[in-house]
Amino acid sequence: MSDVLRIQSLARRVFWDRIGSTRMLIMLPILVLFLPGMAWGFSDPNIVLPGGHQPDQPMEVMFYASLGVVFGATMCGVLLAFDGVSRDRASGVFELRLAQPMPRTHQAIALMLGMWQAIFIPVAVLSLASVAIIRWRLGEWASVWDVMIHLTATALILFWYVVFTLLASSRTKDQGTAIAFGIGMWFLFTFLWALFTTMVAYASGVAIGEQNNAQWIALEGSLDLLSPNGVYHHLLETRLPEIERGVPAWQSWAMAVIWTLIPSSLFVRRMNTLQP
Amino acid sequence: MEGDSLRLEEVTFRHRMSDPSRLKPWRTRPGPGVHSITLSLRPGEILGLVGPNGAGKTTLLRTIAGVLPIQNGKLMLTSSAKETQLDSDSLRNIVGHMPEQVRWQGRQSVEDALLELAEMRGASAKRVNGLLRLVGLGQRATAHLSDLSQGMRQRLTLAAALLGSPKFLLLDEPLNGLDPVAATAFVQLLHELKSKGVSIIISSHQVEGLEAITDRIALMHRGQLLANGTLAEIADSLELQPSIVVAGPGKLPDLAWCKHRVESESAQDTWTIRLEHSGVGLLPEFIERGIEVHSWNPKSPGIVELLCAATGMNIEEVGLEIASTAMLPHKSIGGEEE
Repeated sequence: MSDVLRIQSLARRVFWDRIGSTRMLIMLPILVLFLPGMAWGFSDPNIVLPGGHQPDQPMEVMFYASLGVVFGATMCGVLLAFDGVSRDRASGVFELRLAQPMPRTHQAIALMLGMWQAIFIPVAVLSLASVAIIRWRLGEWASVWDVMIHLTATALILFWYVVFTLLASSRTKDQGTAIAFGIGMWFLFTFLWALFTTMVAYASGVAIGEQNNAQWIALEGSLDLLSPNGVYHHLLETRLPEIERGVPAWQSWAMAVIWTLIPSSLFVRRMNTLQP
Repeated sequence: MEGDSLRLEEVTFRHRMSDPSRLKPWRTRPGPGVHSITLSLRPGEILGLVGPNGAGKTTLLRTIAGVLPIQNGKLMLTSSAKETQLDSDSLRNIVGHMPEQVRWQGRQSVEDALLELAEMRGASAKRVNGLLRLVGLGQRATAHLSDLSQGMRQRLTLAAALLGSPKFLLLDEPLNGLDPVAATAFVQLLHELKSKGVSIIISSHQVEGLEAITDRIALMHRGQLLANGTLAEIADSLELQPSIVVAGPGKLPDLAWCKHRVESESAQDTWTIRLEHSGVGLLPEFIERGIEVHSWNPKSPGIVELLCAATGMNIEEVGLEIASTAMLPHKSIGGEEE
C-alpha cells in the first residue's frame, strides 16, 4: 500500500469513527438548526435586519447564514476533535500507533483529514440544502461560483478549528483540559475577538463601532485577518462587492493559506516530537 | 539458534523535566530516563527486565520500540552476514511493542481496531483474523472495545504487538490483568514464538514468576542496568545466598546445630525459620533430629534482595526510594542532579 493510500485509509477510519459517534448524533440537530435554519430565516421575504437592510440576493443570504457556521459548525468541530489525540494518549492506544512503522507525519495528516472530513461533510450537505432552501424562498439560485467560494471558505474555517483543537489535544493528557483548551480557543475567536478589536481601536484613537467611520472599518477589516472567523468572512465578502472593508481579495486568500499552513505544520511538528 | 540479535550500546534517553525560573518559565532540564544501557538480546531468547517502579523499564522498552528517540548510544542489529545500526524508523519495522495496560475503549469493534493498526503496518486482514484467533479473541471480533474485560484488552494489545510478525517482541507487564488460565496460555504462546526465533523482552517489577519464563534477567534501578544474566549468575555475582523457609508445628525446636539460620518466628502452635541455604541435603538432617516439618520452600532472591545487594543500600532505603517519585540516576550523570 502506498503512503498516500495508507494516509487515506487511516483518515477514512478516523472519519467513520467520529461521524458515527454519539456526540455527532447529538450535534446533528444543532447543525440543522444553525445551517438550514438560518438560511430559512434570513431568506424570509419579510425579514428586516438592523439598519433596515433586507437581504434579497442568494449570496447575501448565504453570507448572513454563515453565522451558523461561525457559531455552530466550528463549535461542533471543536467538540468532535477535542480528544483526537488526548483520548488515545491517555488510554495507551496512541503508544501502539506510535510504535507502527507509519511515519508520524503521515499519521498527523491522516488525523487532521479524518477529523476535518467528519465535520465538513455533514456541514457541506447541510450547506447545499441551505442553497436549495434559499432558491425556494427567494426564487433564485446562487451562482456556482458563489456556492464554491462558500463551501471552500467553510471547509477552511472548519479545518482551522479542527487543527487548533488537535494541537490543543496533543498538549494535554486528560479530557477536561483538552476540552477547556478547545472551547477556550473557540470563545477567544468567536466572542473575545470583538473585545480585542475594540481595545486596539481605543488604543489607536479610532471611534469604536461607527459603521460609517472609514478608520474603524479599515481597522476592523485588518484585525479580522488575524482571526480565523475574520478571514472566513473576508473570503465570503470577496463575492459581495457592496461590502468594502479595505482588504483586497488576495490578502484574504493569502491569510487563508497562512492560517492553513501554520497550525497544520505546528501539529505535524508536535506529533513528531510527541511522547506517549 | 540462527537469526538476528539486537545489541544496545550505551543507549541513553532522558525525559525533560520542568524546571521553571522567573525569566524562563518554560525551562526544562534532563530528568529521569535510562542511562548508558548496554545489553544484547540473542535470537529466540526471552529476557526479563526487572526493576522497581520508576526504574526505567518502560522508557527502555519505548526506546527499543522506536517510540522514544535514542539520545545517545546506538542500537545494532546483528545478523550472520552483517551488523547494521538501527534508527527509530527501522526499529518500528522489526519490533512489536505491547505497552502496559492499554485501555481500549469506544464503539469501534475489536477487529476494526486491529485492522487500523494493521493498515499502518501494512499487515493483511487475514493476518488480523489469524491473530485474533491466536490470542483467543476470534469469537469477540465484532464486540465493541468498551465491552472487553481487562484480560481481553491485554490479549488485544498482544495481538497488536504481533501484527507485523516482529523479530523482537517487547512486552511491558504483560501478565497484568490476565487470569491464571490466560496467563498459562500466554506463557505457552511466548515459548512458541521463542521456538520460531522471536526474541522477547518482558518487563516486570516482580522476579517471581518471571524465572520460569525467561532465559536471562536484566536488573534495572534508577535508569541503569545493574546486572544481567541468569538469576543464579546474578545472585552469585552479588554474593547472594539462596534461602529456604521451613515451617513446622509446636514450639520452635532447638536449632543451635544449624549454622544457616537467619531469622525465626514462632506463634502459639507453629514455627517458621528462614535459612540461608539452598536446602539441598538439609532435609535429612531435620528428619534425623526428629524435627517435624510442615513446609519446605526454597526461595530465590526477590527483587528487593537483589536491589539491596546490587546497590549496597538497606531494605528501608530501597523501599523508601521505590515509593519516592524523585527517581534520580544511581551514578551522577553530567552533574545535573547535584
